[in-house]
Amino acid sequence: MKRFLAIALAILLVVTLAACGGGTADPPAQADPPTQADPPAQNDGNGEEAAGGTLTVWSWDPAFNMYAMDVAAEIFERSHPGFVLNNVEMPWEDINTQITTIGISGEYSLLPDIILIQDQAIEVSVLTFPGIFTDITDSGINFSEFAAGKTDFSVVDGRNFAVPFDNGVTITAWRTDVLEEAGFTVDDFTDITWDELIELGQVVLDETGMPLLSTYGVGASFMDVMVKSAGTSLFDGDGQPNFVDNAVFREAVDRFIEMVDAGVMLLPGDWSDYIGTLAAHDVVGTLAGCWILGTIQEVGPEGVWGVTNIPRLSVPGGTNYSSWGGSSWAVTSNANVDLAVAFLNYTFAGSTELYDIILPAAGALSTWGPAAASTIYQEPQPFFGGQAVFSDIVRFSQNIPDFVGGIHHYIAMDQIDIALGNIINLGMDIEQALAEAEDVVRFQMGL
Amino acid sequence: MFVAAGLIVWMNFYPMVRGFYFSLYRGVGAQMEFAGALNYLRMLEDTQFRQTIGTTFFYLLIQVPIMLITGLALASMLNSPGLKAKGFFRTAIFLPCAVGLVAYSLVFRQMFAVSGIINTIAMNLGIMETPFNWFGSTWSARMIIILGLLWRWTGFNMIFYLAGLQNIDRSIFEAARIDGANVFQQFRKITIPLLRPIILLTAIMSTNGTLQLFDESFNLTGGGPGLTSRTMSHHIYSTAFEALIPQIGYASAMSFVIFIMVAVLAFIQIKVGDRR
Repeated sequence: MKRFLAIALAILLVVTLAACGGGTADPPAQADPPTQADPPAQNDGNGEEAAGGTLTVWSWDPAFNMYAMDVAAEIFERSHPGFVLNNVEMPWEDINTQITTIGISGEYSLLPDIILIQDQAIEVSVLTFPGIFTDITDSGINFSEFAAGKTDFSVVDGRNFAVPFDNGVTITAWRTDVLEEAGFTVDDFTDITWDELIELGQVVLDETGMPLLSTYGVGASFMDVMVKSAGTSLFDGDGQPNFVDNAVFREAVDRFIEMVDAGVMLLPGDWSDYIGTLAAHDVVGTLAGCWILGTIQEVGPEGVWGVTNIPRLSVPGGTNYSSWGGSSWAVTSNANVDLAVAFLNYTFAGSTELYDIILPAAGALSTWGPAAASTIYQEPQPFFGGQAVFSDIVRFSQNIPDFVGGIHHYIAMDQIDIALGNIINLGMDIEQALAEAEDVVRFQMGL
Repeated sequence: MFVAAGLIVWMNFYPMVRGFYFSLYRGVGAQMEFAGALNYLRMLEDTQFRQTIGTTFFYLLIQVPIMLITGLALASMLNSPGLKAKGFFRTAIFLPCAVGLVAYSLVFRQMFAVSGIINTIAMNLGIMETPFNWFGSTWSARMIIILGLLWRWTGFNMIFYLAGLQNIDRSIFEAARIDGANVFQQFRKITIPLLRPIILLTAIMSTNGTLQLFDESFNLTGGGPGLTSRTMSHHIYSTAFEALIPQIGYASAMSFVIFIMVAVLAFIQIKVGDRR
């Protein structure tokens, strides 16, 4: 037995070594057969435009971004036969880490062709890792057709680094059947303040036992939305973090904590737990960017959802409009640039058909001018009980106050996340938690 | 021989030296400039790093002793000649070590989730009325991490003890028994002294591993609530790879401090434990 094993191992070793040797030491012999099979395979990778080609794309949310990409690929493939889209799902947090890791190491060859990137992250990525994205200013894409407020995010030093996609107008979506049980309609939730929302929420909770809203984590993104709705920033005019003496931010934190304490707001855990509360109908509605409509149409039920604007903060300049997580398509420095640009120019920057499909199906509200002329916006949506949801959302989008982003946005968000955890879970004093967070942000910016 | 030495230098020492070199630079992303000891001075003001050091040592002080004692006890039990189905127990206790760190962390997170199996069982048994948010308080979150570590690593250390025990001649125990020593006396006077080198080895390995704890903090609790279950390594990772403003220089400096801590602790343990 032992001898048999020894012989078997020896044979295995010899075969393995031979195989290895064949690859490295024997190129002429090896090269022969592949060359015959190669031409078609080569064309797949980087051949002529007409013969198709492959684009690898990283994005998140199968019900929204990835879906839009698939539709775009179908449209592009019709006139570019053989085109193949490699649509990779990667949560935004992971894309964020990938950009950072690849950026530090300089291994840009690990990048895909196109990355979906949150608007707030474009400037900081381009400044931190020069050359990570391709400058597509002169690529033939007509950026003037996009909404100006949107392209501001993807322009760094006058150069365009991404093709704008959705604009993430915030909405609230409500189950009208549940509201009815408590004696309310969506109108009662339109143009209200957060105080009024909390009052309504308590009534609904008493009548139906259901919390109004849920969000993921401890609500840092929620906080960002509330602050933006009053046109305020988490940073002062000199770019320094401004948490403690920021009346608007403080009002947002207070109202948010009040909602959590009152049981009106559920904090189930991470993103998938949040989607889970919608799917399991644990909550009456949700507040998010309009991209959530894709998910809502998946969880149903049809005909009972109504959409309206978000509550406003009771502060000077408070509005019922904000934005949450708009994003853009960036062409990386590792891309098949010609194909990537041709693809984006043909679809996201050139196809009203694309937007006509993805708007009703996923709530993908375009920032591309020509798509706004579409008649679909005016059409009543049966899923939303006949409400012309999209013309409402366009109206919301015109009212979003301007706000200042800045490259330290994500550092601030990380610390607000920790501060809210301290307040909600550990019962830390709000003032103290915000002061600590502000100190840490200042400390981290010090490098 | 030279190939092996070369590999060690290239794979182990080069990154260390390179890490130290990075720790002397400041800046963001790819744009770095020389800063001398600035990163190390900066660390003195970093309240969050201080907090994570405290948390990591908390894990170290609670978890390592419990784990080593449990491992030793299990090994002695498995070594007793009368035990049936030894192989089964040995495999069962060692098996967790074959599970990936991320995989088991995620399973633990699911188990302790608000709607997870632990809450469900406790509520069905009538122990709790409402689900408990295990990750919502510092102590329960830290306890779950320690529980996970015990589950994952006790068997690993036990195998070392078992190997050591099998090298101890049975006649020594027999002689002790004839002299009237009970089980605990045998354990204290024979097992522990003879296993001293192996206990030292496992203590150093566990200390080292706990100081570099990352997966559980990152995957199981996410470092929360707040920052209270975050370990040093997790904090370094966040500094280096999150928020799109990577601070590689500062993160390298913090890594180097951990490196020194591990070295110092190992040195102390060798001095205390090795009385040859």
